[in-house]
Amino acid sequence: MAKLDIDGLHLRYGDTPVLQGIDAHMQEGDVVCLLGRSGSGKTTLLRAIAGLEQPSAGRITIAGNIVVDADRGVFVPPERRGLGLVFQSYALWPHRTVQDNVAYGLKLRGVAGAERSRRVAEVLEGVGLGALGARYPHQLSGGQQQRVALARALVYEPPVILMDEPLSNLDAKLREEARVWIRALIKRRGLTAVFVTHDQVEAMAIADEIVLLDGGRIVQAGTPEALYQDPATLFASEFMGSNNTLPVQVQSRNGGTAGVLLDGHALQGTARGSSADEAATAVIRVEDVAITDQPGPNVLPAEHEMSVYLGGRYEHVFRVGTHQVRALGGPVASGAHGLHLPAERLWVF
Amino acid sequence: MTRPVRIAVILLLALCVLAPVGLVIYQSFLDGNFFAPTTRFTLSAYEFVFDDDDFWDALRNSFIIAAGMTAIAVPVGALLAFLLVRTDLPGRRGIEQLVLIPMFVSSVVLAFGFVVALGPVGIVSLWVKGLVGTVPWSIYSLPSLVVIAGLTHVPHVFLYASSALRSLGSDVEEAARTTGAGPLRVALTVSLPMILPNLLYCGVLVFFLGFELFGLPLVLGDPEGILVLATYLYKLTNKLGVPSYQLMAVVVVVIIVIALPLVAMQRLLLRSANRYVSVRGKAAAQRPIGLGGWRWPALGLIAAWLLVTVVVPVVGLVLRSFLSGWGEGVSILGALTTAHFRELAGFPNLIRGITNTLLLASVGGALSVAVYTVVNLAGHRWTSRWTWLMDVVVLLPRAMPGLVAGLAVFWVFLFVAPLQPFRQTLVALWAAYTVVWLAYGMRLVSGALLQIGPELEEAGRTVGATAGRVSRDVTLPLVRAGLFASWVLIFITFVREYSTGVYLLSPGTEVIGSLLVSLWGTGAIDLVTALSTVNIAMIGGGLLLMRRFGQRAGT
Repeated sequence: MAKLDIDGLHLRYGDTPVLQGIDAHMQEGDVVCLLGRSGSGKTTLLRAIAGLEQPSAGRITIAGNIVVDADRGVFVPPERRGLGLVFQSYALWPHRTVQDNVAYGLKLRGVAGAERSRRVAEVLEGVGLGALGARYPHQLSGGQQQRVALARALVYEPPVILMDEPLSNLDAKLREEARVWIRALIKRRGLTAVFVTHDQVEAMAIADEIVLLDGGRIVQAGTPEALYQDPATLFASEFMGSNNTLPVQVQSRNGGTAGVLLDGHALQGTARGSSADEAATAVIRVEDVAITDQPGPNVLPAEHEMSVYLGGRYEHVFRVGTHQVRALGGPVASGAHGLHLPAERLWVF
Repeated sequence: MTRPVRIAVILLLALCVLAPVGLVIYQSFLDGNFFAPTTRFTLSAYEFVFDDDDFWDALRNSFIIAAGMTAIAVPVGALLAFLLVRTDLPGRRGIEQLVLIPMFVSSVVLAFGFVVALGPVGIVSLWVKGLVGTVPWSIYSLPSLVVIAGLTHVPHVFLYASSALRSLGSDVEEAARTTGAGPLRVALTVSLPMILPNLLYCGVLVFFLGFELFGLPLVLGDPEGILVLATYLYKLTNKLGVPSYQLMAVVVVVIIVIALPLVAMQRLLLRSANRYVSVRGKAAAQRPIGLGGWRWPALGLIAAWLLVTVVVPVVGLVLRSFLSGWGEGVSILGALTTAHFRELAGFPNLIRGITNTLLLASVGGALSVAVYTVVNLAGHRWTSRWTWLMDVVVLLPRAMPGLVAGLAVFWVFLFVAPLQPFRQTLVALWAAYTVVWLAYGMRLVSGALLQIGPELEEAGRTVGATAGRVSRDVTLPLVRAGLFASWVLIFITFVREYSTGVYLLSPGTEVIGSLLVSLWGTGAIDLVTALSTVNIAMIGGGLLLMRRFGQRAGT
């Protein structure tokens, strides 16, 4: 059975609805990412799971125990949920050493003496901070503080660990390393983890499943591959990856395909979503646009405008009529080119 | 704290604050003392007070003094803040330490200082008379009162204006400089407008303080019969020959009715005051503005203010306490003596006053800080209608001058049977002091509490600690330094307080402040100056303690 179930969760701050009916089921051993823009409700959902926010409706079940059931007035306080939470700011207690920060959860659970020291040392070793137990948080670097926060949340072996943008205070290089070792650590310990982020690249790198949120609702949930390759809505398609978004007129719809006009050029695309309007939006990932000099179906005549070197390859900007289309590739001469937009990759919403 | 505990604390607080206020309002509608067997509901007390010409005189004087001192204190305080925070004035670090002194010295003590230094036969007055043949000022007049009140309230404005100027990012000023504005233009068109909301708040605060003035008018206004509302209330006891509680209650109600909107307005203004002020993590080094040739006139101006407001009264008072007597023809060196301090020892009530003051300020002050902390924790990070009630309840004592609150608490201890045995003990006095300084103490403690990020406490909850455990293991250890600083400030405040104990003065509950007020009435100037000097020394001790622990003064 699922480790964490959320059913029909609603939450409001005063009169402002923040979560508007969240249903999610997270499997044992999964790393689930709550992904969304700021204000999408992702952090609020995490805090509701932790017990730091009180939902107005709905149910949360952790490992078979109901912790929130608004209809029956059940609300288990955060300290009795036994979860681990890593804060965005780390929230290390400045008046305690690293060791004491980590040991506090064990102390509260009545683990004493040698057993406590052993487990603290073990978990600190696990996050690579074995030698720093006697230091105070302000004596550590940001990356080390982040590891202490993780150790503090792991030490009492919670069934589910919650992480609120734990990497956002690290610099870019450190962040890429951290997401790899955090995922490895979670997998090694067989934990269920819920991870909040606004960064889609980070979400895809760390998650088994991504839950995309917008305006307090779930837009789409699925594996990173599914979300990236098979987005259900325009929002999901634009949120993931780097895209060309083009306004088009729909000429014909035929099952899964759609014939569209872009500035008078006829294109074949894949119909997505449920819209039947004539005015539609076509989306294609930047890396799916091929630069070619051969005319053919779905090839647009384009004028090269400018290029940006990304290291190893270029991002080129082309002009097609009044629109700009971006594509990746090797060096390109200025002047006229053709852009091939494969029909199965050109999504019409 | 769990929800029921929080609610219980807030209800208890409400009871402690509303009971005295309620009793006063109830008393104001009776025709006799509330504990008398035959009293009826009537408006006669209101009719009597509103028919009394003295009342209207007092009300008018209160408004004149409040308005006058606001007009003096706000510009002078703002100017001082600008000069000391934003310019290259010589010696500004040292001067800053001195500017706040008038806030810490009891205003009744300062008033004595003005009398012995600048009064008709004051030490400075006679020296000036020896030079020019006459004393060119009269200290016992309404204009003098306004000027002295204005000058002694400059620190209140300075405190808020300087902290606002300090937290104003210098980047906004630098932006104006790079756009082409000169330093003076920047000060007038960028800095000043940005702290204007803070100055407006100071204006209302000073007006409110002026309205509640008691010590200065009691000492400086009384000889010429100049009454303000607080001194009118104080004198009312003698008006009919017998204590007429209903009349006093009416005056108290009038004071509260005028003060409450002022307090509410302060709150409103404070909320908008920090609109432009951004607190940033990086302490942006502020480049002081060069004053050039204006440095020395500016320094002279500040020195003159310090001389008149601090040096003359304090030095005059301390000097007088070491003189056997004073009058025309007395030589200072020939009259030096420590006899008055030895005399103090001959009065058991004065010695008790000193020990009681120390006890009340140290132990009582610590207990008060504990009370303020519990109340603060009850409303800490809790969004609920109950915290709204708490805010309102905390506001109410702010609208009661110490004299009034002391009277109200006195009545409660007279009225509530289980409390009666405590009426003539320090318990009653401590209760009154704690209620009077509730809003101030709450602000001190909440300042310390708010420095802790909410996630530090939430982290405690998620690793498995109950709310109470988090308070004990996380919140309190982190606010300990802040609580200690609060205690020192409350200590100084309690040592300085003189009006709250006036109606609670009885054998056993003497404190220096209330003794000074009653001794002044008997004309025992030698004892008054000696006791005032002791009071100043105790406050000095508190200030040293504060400096030692590196805490900034004020709020």
